[in-house]
Order: sequence, then C-alpha cells, then structure tokens
Amino acid sequence: MATPVTGKQADLVMCNECHTIHHNVPAVDLQCSCCGAELHQRIPNSINRTWALLLTSVILFIPANAMTIMNVAYLGKDDPSTIMGGVIILLQFGSYAVALVVFIASVVVPLFKMMGILMILLSLRYSINISDTQRIRMFRFIEFIGRWSMLDIFVISILAALVNISGVAVITAGPAATAFGAVVVLTMLAANTFDTRLLWDYKDNSVNNDVNNDEKNN
Amino acid sequence: MLIQNQTIAEGSKLICPRCGHVLYKQKHNTISKSLAYTLTALICFYPAVTEPIMILNMAGLSQQQSLLQGARVLLQEQYYLVAILTFLSSMVVPLIRLLLLFYVTFSLSINYFHINMLWSFRLYHHMEEWGMLDVYMLGIIVSVVKLLSMAEIYPGFGLWAYAGLLLSSILATTALNPHEVWDALVKQKNTRGD
Repeated sequence: MATPVTGKQADLVMCNECHTIHHNVPAVDLQCSCCGAELHQRIPNSINRTWALLLTSVILFIPANAMTIMNVAYLGKDDPSTIMGGVIILLQFGSYAVALVVFIASVVVPLFKMMGILMILLSLRYSINISDTQRIRMFRFIEFIGRWSMLDIFVISILAALVNISGVAVITAGPAATAFGAVVVLTMLAANTFDTRLLWDYKDNSVNNDVNNDEKNN
Repeated sequence: MLIQNQTIAEGSKLICPRCGHVLYKQKHNTISKSLAYTLTALICFYPAVTEPIMILNMAGLSQQQSLLQGARVLLQEQYYLVAILTFLSSMVVPLIRLLLLFYVTFSLSINYFHINMLWSFRLYHHMEEWGMLDVYMLGIIVSVVKLLSMAEIYPGFGLWAYAGLLLSSILATTALNPHEVWDALVKQKNTRGD
C-alpha cells in the first residue's frame, strides 16, 4: 500500500457518531442510516468556527489572569488574589506538588491549548508542512487535557461554599472566575469544532508525491 | 484514511498506520459488565451530592457543605456562570450520562428496543468530556490543601460516596466497547424493521 486512500477520495462518508461508513451520499441533508445523526464529509465551516472560538478565548484570557479570581477575608482582612497569586500562596505554604498541579491546570494548559490550536490553524492556512503525526498527537493531547483546566473553577466553588463563617473567614469568587470559566469552555468547544480530517486534506489535494514518507504501511 | 476491516484476536487492538489512533479494541460481553458499574455509580450518586463532602472546624465554629449546597451558595453570590458550570459538569452531566448508559445497557440486556436508544447512546458519547467528576475530585484535594493552613478539615460521608461514584463511572465507561453496543443496536433495529 504505497499511497493511502482517504474516505473522501473513495466517495465514502463516515458517520461521526457511530462510525458507520456510507457510500455515494448526496451533498445535503443526510442522515446516518444507522444512528440517525447528521452526516458530514467534513464538519461545515470547521476552520472559521474554530478561529472565532479561539480568538474569543484569547481575549477573555486577559481579564481571567489580570482580575481577582478569589477573595479571602480572614479575620476581617481582605486578601484578593489572581490565578498566579493563588499559585504563589500555595508555594509559600510549601505545598509544591499542589502548586505545580494548579499552575499546570490553570496557566500552562490553557496557554498550551490556545497556542496549539493557533499553530494548527496557521499551519493549515499557510500550508506549512509540520509532521502530520506530531500535529495530530498534539491535537489529541489538547483535546485530552482541556477539561482539566476546570480545576481552578472547582476549587473556587468548593472554597466559596465551604468557607463562609462570617466574621472569621469568608471566601468569595471574583470576576476573573467567570472569565476563566468561559475560556475553558470556549477552548473545549474550539477543539471540538475542529475537524481533524482537514489535517490530511491539504496533503491529498497537493500535487507533491511525498506521501510515502510517513512511517506506516501494514 | 481507508483501512481494510480486519478480524483481530481477543485483547489486541487495531491502530491507524497514518495517525496512530486506536481504531478498534477487541472486547466482548462488555454490556453487562458496564451495566453493573453503572448501577453502582447511580446508587452512589444521591449520597455524593446531598451528604457533606468536608467538615470544617475553624475558631471553634464548624461548617459543612454538600455539593448541592455549594452550588446554591455560588448562585446567591451571583456568580452565575461559575455556579452553572460547576453544577452542570460535576452533577447534571454525569447523572444524565449514567442514566443514558443505564437505559441503553439495561434495555439491550433484556432485549428491549426503542428507536430513541440510538440518540440516547449518541448523546452519551457527546457528553463524555463535559462530565468532570475526575477534575472535581482533584479540585477537592487542592481545596483541602489550601484550607489546611487555616482550619481543621475532616472528610464527610459525601466524599466517600463521591469517590465511589467517580470510580464506578470510570469503570462503566472503560469497560464498555461502543462498537459492541452499536452492533447490537443496529441488529435490534433491523430485526424490528424500522
């Protein structure tokens, strides 16, 4: 098998839900005969939608980091903190492992996710030839880690609910919590709307015959 | 990429040579196993959200909070997005997923079929990444560490129930082979002729 054939070239469409393969389907309004889901060769407007969601999350990422995410009022003294502030407090307590987990979940993961999706979109737009396997691995990683950014939101909601002894200690959420929650949801949606099959399309459409350089064939 | 369908041995898996994705893992009789785990998870669900997760002792005052009360407190503080996100991803979505999975696996094991089982199973897959029981569990751990410096913390009964819920719903998902379910669903659908 020298040149791999894609389903698109063979006039086949796979149902995204139940993975049934359909042959010779008309272009519009089609339902999967197995599970009834809408069928698409590729998710419509996938790239544009991903761009829109990505840009919105990048914009919201600024207030999410700059504003107060949590306010701790301990014995009458207010102590508002940002996302990074929370990590630093944990470091001061000496809980390095937890500080690292929070730092990764709420700073590294969102940044990595947004940059990763941006890189993939740019590489499609300008047909930059990054190794395909690397690109898809990165994308799967992004999809997999995305939800773990919710960690900070959950911590805040637990703390705000539990620590509510007026006069002694009251923890309240700040405006950045809303922004950060939106960033997480939007980047997850962006990863979902992106159709990974587009990654191979540019290659199959282009005339260059270097398809055999992937490590595969069995 | 198109790949010829191959029969593979029990316990092995088929990997796409182009992108390295696992195409198919051979597992059988997964439906009844998954059903058992789903039932366990459903039993754990009620105490997990209504019983207190943690008990906090601070300056002689004690406070305890369950998942449901926590969501209500956030609503009162008018952080609607945060409250709704937490409520949905740690309670509603996991519950709906468990109910859908229970409906599909239970119906298949008693040989019952209705056309809505197709979209039920689809919906179950769609919600997969929005149910965040595991992330919430990590959130509980982080909160405990944050609180240790200013208060005494004791685990409540809700925490154990929550851990049980998390474990059994993970097992319910990983035990299930979706291809087997789709095959069974399609077979049922064809024999009933709609």
